[in-house]
Amino acid sequence: MTVLRAAIGAEWIKLWTTRTVWWSLAAALVLMAAGAAQYALYAENGDLDATVLRDGRVPAGNVAVLALSFAQLAFVALAMLAMTSEYSTGTMRATLTWVPSRVKLLLAKSAVVAAVTFVAGAVAGIVGGLIAKPLLGDLGEAGGIPPTALRIGAYLALLGVFAVGLGAALRGPVVTLVVLLMLIVVLPPLLQVPDVAVLNGIADALPGVAGNHFLLGDSDPYAPGLGLLIVAVWAVGGFVLGCRELDRRDA
Amino acid sequence: MRTPAHLLRQFNGPCTGHDFRQYVRLPFGSGGGGTCGSTVRRMLITLDGLTKRFGATVAVDGLDLEVRPGRVTGFLGPNGAGKSTTLRMILGLDRPTSGRALLDGRPYSAYEFPLRKVGALLEAKGVHPGRTGRSHLRAMARSNAIPAVRVDEVLAQAGLTGVAAKRAGTWSLGMGQRLGIAGALLGDPPVLILDEPVNGLDPDGVRWIRGLMRELAGQGRTVLVSSHLLSEMQVTADHLIVIGNGRLLADAPLDRILAGHASLEDAYYALTEGSALR
Repeated sequence: MTVLRAAIGAEWIKLWTTRTVWWSLAAALVLMAAGAAQYALYAENGDLDATVLRDGRVPAGNVAVLALSFAQLAFVALAMLAMTSEYSTGTMRATLTWVPSRVKLLLAKSAVVAAVTFVAGAVAGIVGGLIAKPLLGDLGEAGGIPPTALRIGAYLALLGVFAVGLGAALRGPVVTLVVLLMLIVVLPPLLQVPDVAVLNGIADALPGVAGNHFLLGDSDPYAPGLGLLIVAVWAVGGFVLGCRELDRRDA
Repeated sequence: MRTPAHLLRQFNGPCTGHDFRQYVRLPFGSGGGGTCGSTVRRMLITLDGLTKRFGATVAVDGLDLEVRPGRVTGFLGPNGAGKSTTLRMILGLDRPTSGRALLDGRPYSAYEFPLRKVGALLEAKGVHPGRTGRSHLRAMARSNAIPAVRVDEVLAQAGLTGVAAKRAGTWSLGMGQRLGIAGALLGDPPVLILDEPVNGLDPDGVRWIRGLMRELAGQGRTVLVSSHLLSEMQVTADHLIVIGNGRLLADAPLDRILAGHASLEDAYYALTEGSALR
């Protein structure tokens, strides 16, 4: 336990002592603010599809969820860079001499990234909701902003753990980011467009789609809680894969 | 002129008992100065049939040896002889194909806070270019529950106090090397493993490292240093381990290896000639 606590302390210092974290968080907030404003204006014009409507009104939190489809990429970049920069800057060997236990190292990194993406994600959710609310005019509904913001935090924490684990398995920042973008951004629409049940089913099991179900509280095709569970399974899977590769391959 | 380690040991008196498990008192934060009284728990590095294969290539081939405390052990061999792979296996970075590398009977990874046992300089580029030297050492200290006060101590010891707040990407090779040494000293470890420590250092730095290695060995620490600079080894090492093609070629005191040769360079070529041809 003391070893893990020390490792978490070290990872915490490491995360906040490069500029990456500040750029990513600033980018996340800007994307959230701009996205929320744009989607709120769409909604106000009646151009938004019905999935975000609740009893004819638009919860401001749901607009933040829509904006998250862009903003989450900044969070994902932050998480995966926390791991892959160790390889790209040649610090991984040093890091492993500090903390030789691969499992504890990855636990420490995941914990730090999850804590940061949870808090920053919740803050972004609130910012998005607060920006959307006045722009939605009469259509808007402010009530659900805090719970939605917490859900956004939870989703981003799990997605962050997945990105860290994937980074540990793949090592390179470029390949890791490409795989993450494929899973979160590129594949879902490709699989959802054709009316083929198998493809749609695969799309529903991808982390971004599952997260969206959870965040919007959709009960079709599965309950929102199941959406969160699916994202958690991706997080655990990424972690296990990362541990295995760290252990198997020479540093 | 260097002072042979056994003479230093005599000067140093009580901290140089012959039992390598002896403890002598000196708390963290006392600066790691050159005086006796340093806390050095004497520690032994043991390689036991250590072997590493990369596919069909044998990088390290059944090394059996001990690296003892209280002296500077030079680790020599041509490029590709397996020196760095051996050092990486000692530090748990590469997994041996067979055999073991042990520190007082346990592998590196079995130690909870290994930086307090082994300080290593592997390559100058162990630092994120965007992080300051001080932040790097703060994180390193935290990772092994080493008191933060040690950070400023080792920065001062390495002559980096003035640049500690600058990002490491702006540093010269020599300053990076000094930071690596500062990191190796951070946990006040009984074992130091230094891979090409004088690489990129100016004459001042070379002299500093030479004195430092003598001092650390004099305190009863185990100092294992790999280098291609034979003239440097000749004035620094007490004992030499020479490998070629992953095999042990010599493991003997410096004067025995030098015997009958004009310089360490001559002795080295006589030893490694066969291995270079294979």
